[in-house]
Amino acid sequence: MDNPWKDRYGEEVLMRKREIIAETGDLAIGYRMRSRVNHVMQHLSLQACQGELVALIGRNGTGKSTLLRTLVGLQPALGGTIKLQGKDLHAIGSSLLPRIVSFASTEPVAVRNIKVRDVVALGRFPFTNWIGTLTTDDEEAVSEALEATGLTMLAGRSIDNISDGERQRTLIARSLAQDTGLLVMDEPTAFLDLPSRFSIVSLLRQLTRERNKCVIYSTHDLDTAINEADRIWLMTGEGIAEGAPEDLILTGTIARAFESPLLSFSSSEGTFSFIRGMQTGIALEGTGLAARLTEKALSRCGYRTDPQAAIKIKVRETPDGPEWIVVSGLQTDHCRSLYDLVSILPGDAGQLP
Amino acid sequence: MKGMSSRLTLAMTGIIILVIILFIADLLIGSTHIDASEVIRSLFGHGTPGGEIIVTQFRLPKALTAIIAGAAMSVSGLLMQTLFRNPLAGPDVLGVSSGAGLGVALTLLTLSPLFTLSAGSALQGWGLILAAWAGAGAVMMIIMAVSVRMRDIMTVLIVGLLLASAISAVVSLLQYFSNESMLRTYVIWTMGNLGNISYPQIRALAMATAAGLVIAFLMVKPLNAMLMGETFSRTVGVKMSSTRIILLVAASILAGSVTAFCGPLAFIGVAVPHIGRLVFGTTDHRTLMPGVALCGSVVLLLSDIISALPGGGHIIPVNTVTSLIGIPVVLWIILGKTGMGRRF
Repeated sequence: MDNPWKDRYGEEVLMRKREIIAETGDLAIGYRMRSRVNHVMQHLSLQACQGELVALIGRNGTGKSTLLRTLVGLQPALGGTIKLQGKDLHAIGSSLLPRIVSFASTEPVAVRNIKVRDVVALGRFPFTNWIGTLTTDDEEAVSEALEATGLTMLAGRSIDNISDGERQRTLIARSLAQDTGLLVMDEPTAFLDLPSRFSIVSLLRQLTRERNKCVIYSTHDLDTAINEADRIWLMTGEGIAEGAPEDLILTGTIARAFESPLLSFSSSEGTFSFIRGMQTGIALEGTGLAARLTEKALSRCGYRTDPQAAIKIKVRETPDGPEWIVVSGLQTDHCRSLYDLVSILPGDAGQLP
Repeated sequence: MKGMSSRLTLAMTGIIILVIILFIADLLIGSTHIDASEVIRSLFGHGTPGGEIIVTQFRLPKALTAIIAGAAMSVSGLLMQTLFRNPLAGPDVLGVSSGAGLGVALTLLTLSPLFTLSAGSALQGWGLILAAWAGAGAVMMIIMAVSVRMRDIMTVLIVGLLLASAISAVVSLLQYFSNESMLRTYVIWTMGNLGNISYPQIRALAMATAAGLVIAFLMVKPLNAMLMGETFSRTVGVKMSSTRIILLVAASILAGSVTAFCGPLAFIGVAVPHIGRLVFGTTDHRTLMPGVALCGSVVLLLSDIISALPGGGHIIPVNTVTSLIGIPVVLWIILGKTGMGRRF
């Protein structure tokens, strides 16, 4: 009998059996202020599995934090059920819950001169005795968490003397030291520059792959979420759409949630771009990177390429680098940079609708 | 605790030695000159009658009170700073000392005349301590209620200031209607005084302080978690509402008892925790709390020595000295490089 699931070395490859670690059923979230009940969102039926990176995205004020806080038991649900590791959240005692789910928020740390290692060690809180003594096992877990997040060298530094990205890694290490199957993080990439954002999200992804953790994180960073997450929970005014990033692109959900008069979503690329108005035609001649970037610069300034157009631009490679020749009627101009090229074109084409 | 580094051991040993040295110095130095040999003979009951009275009835209780009160006020401040996540929190800054003072004023100025007690007897016992605890606890509750709603450090400080002013207005009113001897007792009390405390009172103060310190030390683990914020604390299993109440009770017992007997000691509670963090280089309450307690004893012993420096023949109110030590520390926190010290 031939097993279809064999890799090229002939070893049996099982379909990854994913165990559901977090599940909500008809969940309602929001706030209860005395007699008034303020529903932020209702009828949420969501799932997250072991070994999955789940990105919660949505525009400001859609209730991302509220959902995450409800999920980890920081605020009560207004209705419906939450199950973590198959158990109802209410049935999980307050001593057991910290061993199932950890939470890292954007809450600032109150102290200045606390060391990275000491912050990570606080992740062992649910395991230590009344005074918080770290056993050999605890020390080992802390060291391992530091290593997994690449912080071993910084362990002795005070959290004031490390970068924002490293501080975020410290919080991830703290969650890791807590040794839970489910890690929930509220905006771990907020305030970070582009390389740090990518490195944080790829670290989170690595944890799901190498340690079979489930990481649920909220973010505004659509790019990394679409490229790295296994599952996206997309919050919109109407509710949450759930699926692989590509599923949500395919159904047009992402486009609908984020498109505006100024933004258009390219489904094939999975990226957003500005919508330019009043497009004037321009003829472009040339090949290679210089020509592609010329097209991009022209598009930014409100031109589209049109072989029939009156203005012609020819990109030419010279020994001194590319040169642009602009022919408009009888007039011919030579430019040595795209900046020069764009500045001699008629100016009013780049305005937004 | 295998991680107790040599630096911490060194700092801890150093500060214990410093407490002992200052304790001895406090016995030796005073506004009246007494020879060291005479002081030692007096301590063992073989001194001259005059010297013996000064040493055993005045200097010794004063030095013991300085050790106890310094530790109590400083740990109370430490608890409040972590609890309110506010580097400028302290019993006097947030009006807790004023609250205790109101309790004392009510006892001294209204209750004792009503029950025809003399001012002296009212000052003796646990009645005063209980009144101070109640006053401190009441103010602490109000501050807690405000700080749960208002995250802003400044708002909480301003509420503390307003409370203190409101309380002092009430106290002025009480003073207006009270007789002269009661008033005198009260005014002297407000200046902060480590002397004038009898041994039974010291015993009461020591017991209350010990209770407060034990409760506080039982809370070091949640206190450490609270450095990471309330959200984190809750997600690792700290029961915040009961933890808050226990910490408020401990801080009120500590600050209230000291205030009852020694008056509102200014700036010890807010400044010493920062000195402790600086000396011990840690934020871990397991070492910081005993460290801060010892630093508090050092600062108050030192203040007491300075307030009774020989030559003048006078004793300056100890509050003047603690203010001169404490205010620069507070300024340093406010003007420090993290600005308005959102963190500590």
